[in-house]
Amino acid sequence: MGQRRFLLALWKANLLAAMEYRGAFLSQIVGMALNNAIYFCFWLLFFDRFPSVRGWGVQEMLVLFGVAAGGFGLAVYLFGNAMRLAEVIAGGRLDYYLSLPRPALLHVLASRSVASGLGDFLYGCLSFALSGPDSVGEVLRFLLGVVLAAAVFLGFVVLVQSLAFWIGHAGLVGAQAVNALISFALYPLDLFDGTAKLVLFTLLPAAFMGAVPAEFVRSFTWEGLVQLTGAALVFLGLALAVFHRGLRRYESGSAIAVEV
Amino acid sequence: MRKTLAKYWAICRTQLVHSLSYPADLCSRSLTIALFLWIFAHLWEAAYQSAGQERIAGLSPRDTLWYLMIAEVIVLSRPRLSGAIAEGVKEGSIAYLLNRPYNFLLYQVGVGLGDSALRLAGNVLAGGAITWYLVGPPPDLGHWALVVPALAGAWAIDCCIGAMIGLLAFVAEEVSAFEWIYSKLTLILGGLLVPLDFFPVWLRDMAAHLPFAYIVYGPARAFVDPDLGRFLPLFAGQVCWLAALGGLLWLGYRRSVAHLNINGG
Repeated sequence: MGQRRFLLALWKANLLAAMEYRGAFLSQIVGMALNNAIYFCFWLLFFDRFPSVRGWGVQEMLVLFGVAAGGFGLAVYLFGNAMRLAEVIAGGRLDYYLSLPRPALLHVLASRSVASGLGDFLYGCLSFALSGPDSVGEVLRFLLGVVLAAAVFLGFVVLVQSLAFWIGHAGLVGAQAVNALISFALYPLDLFDGTAKLVLFTLLPAAFMGAVPAEFVRSFTWEGLVQLTGAALVFLGLALAVFHRGLRRYESGSAIAVEV
Repeated sequence: MRKTLAKYWAICRTQLVHSLSYPADLCSRSLTIALFLWIFAHLWEAAYQSAGQERIAGLSPRDTLWYLMIAEVIVLSRPRLSGAIAEGVKEGSIAYLLNRPYNFLLYQVGVGLGDSALRLAGNVLAGGAITWYLVGPPPDLGHWALVVPALAGAWAIDCCIGAMIGLLAFVAEEVSAFEWIYSKLTLILGGLLVPLDFFPVWLRDMAAHLPFAYIVYGPARAFVDPDLGRFLPLFAGQVCWLAALGGLLWLGYRRSVAHLNINGG
């Protein structure tokens, strides 16, 4: 209960801080939603020329985009510091979070919101709405799919960014890994063969951010639910374990830093 | 004139040497192009299979992948001016640069080109190697040397648009939204993901006349079909857009600098 209130307080503070620059905040949200909409034109043009590729068409891509953009947006809006975790670790700025009586990882992740993430999330919802959901169950599955995709994404980002405990400046590696994850998540899984699929379910869990939740949204299966929940738990668990293991190696930078 | 060029060449060279200090950065960026091309190879292989045709709109799968490789090289290696200019305006460091004996915009171009040169080499090597591995050698290298000035023209147009976006920081709090939208317009209307040849006719005819097509589609399409008849209209179009956008940029820059307020020290 205490952690939930703490999280809500952080998110409220982030929102209030963002609203101080209302114009920039809104332009980032609208700009990102528009950016995603323009990007989706690629698929409209593609499927205009090739109506169905390995069972995928515009409807399927709308759901896939909905779930991937929604999951990504939710994660970076609520836990925006995940993308900068390596920088925080390498810069010795974890001191501030470690000195407070709150879970350090949760605190550091939720201390920042990426405004454009809200644009991604809203676009994800719009994309799903355009796919024409035909039941309340599908809408509920979409919401669950977005949350689980966000959890997988967050777990993966924390994992790669935590490499900073061992290799120092892991920001670039982290950015490239996230770039690869998102790139693969936005394409139909059926394009790739056996070995690539294995990678997309394990080392680079793009399948759990795009194709698997999209399939789950379109038709409920227990197998899909177990796969998604399992992946979310495994990646969050691994992220927690690796971060706490890394904390043992953490050395303070003795830097004087002000966290607002 | 020679002295002026030497000044910007020195700026470009300094930035180039600076970029050389980050080989890991260069390698990881080169991996990005390899990753994209690998995904595209799978996507277009599936698309051609589903269509059951060996050539679509005059392009074979091999042509398409080489086209995408050049298009990606142009976009992933281009000088990124908007961010640097916007940052300078917001932080106020523009005041420091305006006092120097060089033109602020040309300084940014020099820095941008110095940054891009190594990225270009890395992307050509990595992109060329993986494309060759996936689909074989490029179609015809007959007029490949003409692709170089086409690429220079493409970057010049892109620099004008990027600099104008950067200068928007004088009037907008945040310019990243404009950057995203411009990059996506280049992606779609420039033909970065789908060659314009595959577009519906009405859209292709419209997109072919926009500057985005002269940045991406024109040079990339000329690479896979190196016909002189393709290069001449491409160069003519690039020159026209460059004159129009360059003029607009110059006006915008003069106006922005005239209204610049510098507070404190």
